[in-house]
Amino acid sequence: MGLFAPWFLAGLVGLGLPVYLHLLKRQTMKPKPVSSLMFFESRTQSSTRHRRLRYLLLMALRLLVLLLLILAFANPFVNRDSAALASNRLVLLVIDNSFSMRAGTRLSDAKDQAMSVLAAKGAARAQVASFGSQLRLMTQPVEDQAALRAAVQAIQPGDEHGNFGELSRAVRGIAESVHMPIEFHVFSDMQRGDLAATFTDMALPDNVKLVTHAVVTKAQPNWTVESVDAPGQVWGKDAKPVHVQAVIAGYGTPAAQRTVSLVVNDKVTATKTVAVPANGRVSVDFPSLEVPYGFSRCEVKIDSADGFAADDLRRFAIERSDPQKVLLVHNYGDNRSPLYIGAALGAAAQSAFIVESISVNEAADRKPSNYAFIILSDLNALPQLLENSLTGYVKAGGSLLITAGTTTGGRTQIPIFGAHVIETRDYTRSPERFMGVGEFDSSYPAVAKADGWPGVKFFYALNVDPGTGADAARVIVRLSDQTPLLLDKRIGEGRVVLLTSGLDNLTNDFPLHPAFVPFIEQTARYLAGSERQGGARTVDAFLELRNAREQGQGVEVTDPEGKRPLTLSEAASAQSFQLTEAGYYQLRLANGRQNEVGVNPDPKESNLDVIPEDVLSLWQGKGGSSSEAAAGPVAPHTTPESFWWWVMLLVLCAAVAESVLASRYLGTQREE
Amino acid sequence: MLQRYLDPTILAGISGLDLVAKTVVDGFVAGLHRSPDFGFSQEFAEYRAYTPGDDLRAVDWNVYARTERIYLKRFRGETNSMLTILLDASNSMQFGSHKVNKMDYARYLAASLFYLAIHGQRDAAGLLTFDDEIRNFIRPSTRQGQLPRLLAGLEQAEPRARTDFAKPMRYFPEFLKRRGMVLIVSDFWESPEKLIQEIEPLRFHGNEVVLFHILDPEDVRPKMNGPAILVDMETNAELEVTPDYAKTEYREKVQAHLTQLRDRALGAGLGYCLLMTDRPLDDALREYLTLRGGRQ
Repeated sequence: MGLFAPWFLAGLVGLGLPVYLHLLKRQTMKPKPVSSLMFFESRTQSSTRHRRLRYLLLMALRLLVLLLLILAFANPFVNRDSAALASNRLVLLVIDNSFSMRAGTRLSDAKDQAMSVLAAKGAARAQVASFGSQLRLMTQPVEDQAALRAAVQAIQPGDEHGNFGELSRAVRGIAESVHMPIEFHVFSDMQRGDLAATFTDMALPDNVKLVTHAVVTKAQPNWTVESVDAPGQVWGKDAKPVHVQAVIAGYGTPAAQRTVSLVVNDKVTATKTVAVPANGRVSVDFPSLEVPYGFSRCEVKIDSADGFAADDLRRFAIERSDPQKVLLVHNYGDNRSPLYIGAALGAAAQSAFIVESISVNEAADRKPSNYAFIILSDLNALPQLLENSLTGYVKAGGSLLITAGTTTGGRTQIPIFGAHVIETRDYTRSPERFMGVGEFDSSYPAVAKADGWPGVKFFYALNVDPGTGADAARVIVRLSDQTPLLLDKRIGEGRVVLLTSGLDNLTNDFPLHPAFVPFIEQTARYLAGSERQGGARTVDAFLELRNAREQGQGVEVTDPEGKRPLTLSEAASAQSFQLTEAGYYQLRLANGRQNEVGVNPDPKESNLDVIPEDVLSLWQGKGGSSSEAAAGPVAPHTTPESFWWWVMLLVLCAAVAESVLASRYLGTQREE
Repeated sequence: MLQRYLDPTILAGISGLDLVAKTVVDGFVAGLHRSPDFGFSQEFAEYRAYTPGDDLRAVDWNVYARTERIYLKRFRGETNSMLTILLDASNSMQFGSHKVNKMDYARYLAASLFYLAIHGQRDAAGLLTFDDEIRNFIRPSTRQGQLPRLLAGLEQAEPRARTDFAKPMRYFPEFLKRRGMVLIVSDFWESPEKLIQEIEPLRFHGNEVVLFHILDPEDVRPKMNGPAILVDMETNAELEVTPDYAKTEYREKVQAHLTQLRDRALGAGLGYCLLMTDRPLDDALREYLTLRGGRQ
């Protein structure tokens, strides 16, 4: 027992007031004149005794009221053994519904065990939750057995990767909020892969008692398609056949022959038999996958004949579409730029783009909107008509790549991009004869994949002013002398990338370096808006729905069951979407492009190895004993429980008694 | 409407006993009907047909001469009486639990009666104030200026000493030359037996004697907030008394005293009128007029 606010005990000095009024302050009787004492008689003795008795009782009541009031303000509490009270203990039943629980009858076994625990706990306060990659509460803490049983039955198998670290983190949050002991029951297959990276991530607070219920006690052999490597897109009808490579893995399995099938749009197109080594992997190649135009749903399947059939396939989607056209505008007589750019796009982007090279004089009658993006290669004079046309094209959402070589150096301003040319820098006249890349923004895809263009020598560059404020261009790469080399700028709805040097192998040797191809490829994908497309994802991964310039435009996601998981507001604003189910997701992105991805469970879920008993005991905080024997009483835990309102109730009673007594005492002087 | 001016607490706000008396009497008279008694006076009342046995002096011969019918002309009764008020001016009359103490109330009462007697009834009026001695005596008279003298006498009657009816009653008859009405205004804190014994002789002289018993409400129902020491205003004797006693036994004793006093007074042929100082004065005036009417 104690006090939450002991400083209120200072009010005890107030107890002196009734003592003073009743005992120390003498009652003085003021003589009262009357007409005559003819009929009065003295009654001194009895009245004094009677008065004093009542005064003492009244004083005691007043002291009691004050004392209780002070006590109530001091907020007394008692330490109660909260574990002994069923109402002060929360039984948290968490059922693992990660992908591995689809194996055999694991989930139904877990539910049965949870039902048994519920029946054993009787009227205890309980809460049901499921967990995969994160904890999902199915009920509030209730004592309604029917609701709890219904919640257990409502748990469906999932495709997520179980994570005991995330589960422990969520339970720690619950323990902080409920302020009572938690009897934490976990019904799971105790997959080793579900363990957190470090054991501290799985630590539980003192008031949480973990009881594990393993539905399996030993590892089960399992074959699975661990991964599939296939392109997400195929361009044109004359594209080379798609090469698909799959990895078949066995966990705890003996050496065996497995039949691997490649299924395209529910049709088996190829079958191979491979020998999977004991507890090992083998890769399978399907060199010539032919897919029709549009999206094709592809799978690699095995006949595993194990107890976990759900992981015997791996999905991926391939889109076949016509390559996109790119317009390269160059100076008359410039044959080097088309050569290098065309070669790089052809080599890297899997024929996704067809480069159409024209001189600046021919460009006036071209319609920019017919092209995925346009490259202006070191132009000096840009016809006004073409400049206006390109400016409108960019503002409407088009993209430009501008390279500025020696020819552009004669201008004072970069056309369309709008940056002022401060000076031209001819590094051949410097002692080093060239300038290397100084710093770069590694988050920019065109640069990141090329690892900062090491060894590239720049002999000539324009020093341009990137500008300030909202219209400022983003400098992606700077030369060692801080000259901006690669700039990105948003103009209207479109974007323009400016390279302040040429791509003609004259102002630099960039086209001769390996970094050139990924730069051209990534820049092309970036400008064409197709950099996000891909064929396969993993459950729990996030799919980017829009970039910064696509705010306010709606996206549409259709999950494997044909439902639209995004609300209207989420569809208008969500930056990304978490994939929670295995299957094929269809997307209509903010830029209007369609996409389809095959989503597969995390391959780690296929490893059905279980957590060793000693590790589980360590997690439960009791080394050595078995998990089933752990369902003992929770360690004694006291909780301070305030009872100030009981004291206030006593104050009320004492105040009423005081009032009654005082009114009775004073009431003798009142006339009827 | 004027009745409300008979409230003692309102009268206490009026300065000057003459104005108080005028207010009381005018207010009282305005609420009364005419006296049903007829008599000899100059105020005409009615004509009535003659019936054998009627006093021929009342026949209006002028009417007979004109109509040859005999009618009696009747006038409102008018008698001359003498009013003497014996006012107890002892210390106990100072007691008051509200705005008007017993002495004030007695003054208002006496002033009103004087006003009514002199202006309304043309009676001679006199005043005798006493405590244990006769302190002032204004002989009953109808002379001009009698009312102011009486009112001045009332103003000068400051309570002091204690009540002793024996001496005033013994000497009072010597002051009276003719019979009349004697009104004794007092709180009568005396044994009824002894009191009647001392007052009764006045009646033997042919006077109509009325006791106006003035009491404060707290004289009958004392209020006490606890055991208190009570001081007798006349003797200065002290006594500690409990509220319980004051609430029960005392009330019974006072009630018995009042009953006994009233019974003994009526038994001795004296009039008795109990007046509480929180009640209007009209009871007293009505008592006086009733008494006055009975004397014609």
